[in-house]
Amino acid sequence: MTATASPATRSAAGAPDLTRAALSGRRRFTNHLATAAIWLAVLLAVVPLALVIYEVVAKGGGVMNMSFLTEDIPNSYRRDGGGMAPAIVGTLLITGAAALMAIPLGVFGAIYLNEYGKQRPLARVIRLMADVMTGVPSIVMGLFIYISWVLLVGQQTGFAGALALACLMLPVVIRSSEEMLRLVPDELRQASMALGARKWKTTLTVVLPAAISGITSGSLLAVARAAGETAPIIIVTGIVFSPNVNLFDGFNTALPAQIFRNASQPFEAAQDRAWGAALTLIVIVLGFTIIARLISSRFAIKER
Amino acid sequence: MNRNVLSRRVLAGVALAALALTGCGSNDNSSEPGGSGGDSAYANLSGELKASGASFPDAYYQEVVEAFKGEASDVTVTYNATGSGTGKKQFGEGLVDFAGTDSLVKDTDGVAAGSFLYVPTVAAPITVSYNLEGVDKLQLSADTLAKIFQTDIKTWDDAAIKADNPGVELPSTPITVAHRSDGSGTTSNFTKYLAAAAPNTWKLGSGDTVAWPASTQGGEKNTGVAQIVSQTNGAVGYVDLSDAKATGLKFAAIKNKDGQFVEPSLEGTTAGLEGAEIAEDLSYNPLDAAGANAYPITAPTFIIVKTSYGDAAKAELVKGFLTYLLNDGQELAEEVDFAPLPASLKEKALAQVDKIQG
Repeated sequence: MTATASPATRSAAGAPDLTRAALSGRRRFTNHLATAAIWLAVLLAVVPLALVIYEVVAKGGGVMNMSFLTEDIPNSYRRDGGGMAPAIVGTLLITGAAALMAIPLGVFGAIYLNEYGKQRPLARVIRLMADVMTGVPSIVMGLFIYISWVLLVGQQTGFAGALALACLMLPVVIRSSEEMLRLVPDELRQASMALGARKWKTTLTVVLPAAISGITSGSLLAVARAAGETAPIIIVTGIVFSPNVNLFDGFNTALPAQIFRNASQPFEAAQDRAWGAALTLIVIVLGFTIIARLISSRFAIKER
Repeated sequence: MNRNVLSRRVLAGVALAALALTGCGSNDNSSEPGGSGGDSAYANLSGELKASGASFPDAYYQEVVEAFKGEASDVTVTYNATGSGTGKKQFGEGLVDFAGTDSLVKDTDGVAAGSFLYVPTVAAPITVSYNLEGVDKLQLSADTLAKIFQTDIKTWDDAAIKADNPGVELPSTPITVAHRSDGSGTTSNFTKYLAAAAPNTWKLGSGDTVAWPASTQGGEKNTGVAQIVSQTNGAVGYVDLSDAKATGLKFAAIKNKDGQFVEPSLEGTTAGLEGAEIAEDLSYNPLDAAGANAYPITAPTFIIVKTSYGDAAKAELVKGFLTYLLNDGQELAEEVDFAPLPASLKEKALAQVDKIQG
């Protein structure tokens, strides 16, 4: 509304000179100062990240080879050699199963919240619950699954771990997907409706593709968080020393749990394995990210 | 059952990706060294055993599990070092087939009395490790030890310490006491020893945790205490022998019931076990045991098993594994700084294993 006044004033004064040379000395100085501060902030953010990656690669790279990825975990912490195959299999299966449960449910939830529920009481309750769920510490979620699932079926399994991780991922997926759907301009929906598309068709072919890149990012954040969770895994999945591909029967293990167990030992062989596991975990999460980016770029609306 | 059939189908897809990675990892049991194949007494056993519990004997149990793979290639034994408390709880909930514990079962642990048996496995000394520049040999009596740990004695040149160490030049360095910050079987055994051996001096009681004076320092797990001791001149703390050795600490010789100063060693521990009184249910207390060579601060550890498994195959498996642990497995104990059971106690433990019903 107020913008309507500005063209008139601007034309009266002639086109304003917006180049940097036209700025006063004081303003130019402030500009430089602010730019420098931003660069400093970038540096502050990048330095720890670079240090972490350097440290993990330098210490974990030493043990990284094919047999580390394919061999069983040695029973004795003190012994050299062995690998992390059971933990890698466990991480892929448990995180994968958790993503399969949490992401579709979360995205459907977000679609309901933004496209159908809007400000209705049910939608408000769901939103509030999702926010509360985000704040539940992961160890509490682990204990919840321990009581409600592990004790019920009578054994610790990989699936119990997947359930706990799914519970942790769900609120993140719901809230981030909803934010992304909210960013899709209403004009797109109206245009689709004007062409005679029904609501479900509009949502499926217009709204979702427009938001897919953001939804993917949100889901990835959730997957990355879940892949790094230690506490619930330790509580509900037990431990194995050779790979267990059955999520529903027998103990399982995952990389973060192995990092925790091995890093707290005073033996060098175990600490080396912990560094190796940390490097493996980082690479796996990076792999997830790349795959998800490729998938989302296929479905996204091409820009311009 | 339904759930399992369904799960297999759902899994098939997910598992494909994982299979590519596991490939050669999953079936190398047969290549274990020492696998004597068909002529082993344990070779006809097959199945899976799950266990959890004490972290104190974890190193020893893992050695035995590894060696057992060579004898019985069709058996998978998994021991999860969760701590005695969690182990007992999960055993009571039926999540595991047997549990390891450093402390005896209490009413609050959720295991019904009479439904389980104690099987003693190994023991290990708890060292009093110290870090004091210029002092390489230290002797302590129980009373002095109690005074040090409740900070009644504040410096190393105190008269009580001097009396225990005639002829040793002691500096006036202040004493830093390091203890476990987490609930621990080691704390329980150490404080029980002080309460038993210095009943008139020790005021802090005993248990998995006690109210240490504010000026003391807490460390997480045995390794955390070892770290405080190794980094602080004048520090003293209690650490299990295995971790104290791995950290390269110096240990004090402790005066035993017979008035001898004994350094922590596996021989001293076994001697302590021989002097211990063993109860009917095989629970025993080797703390402050009699015998000239007995090291007085010795921690026992047990495996608890069900009296009756209601499953003959499962009972056979448990019996097989424990028999192996008590016979051939005992030879592995010293490699990882645990003391094997003396012959008399071992016989009783084997008889206890025989009581397990199908």
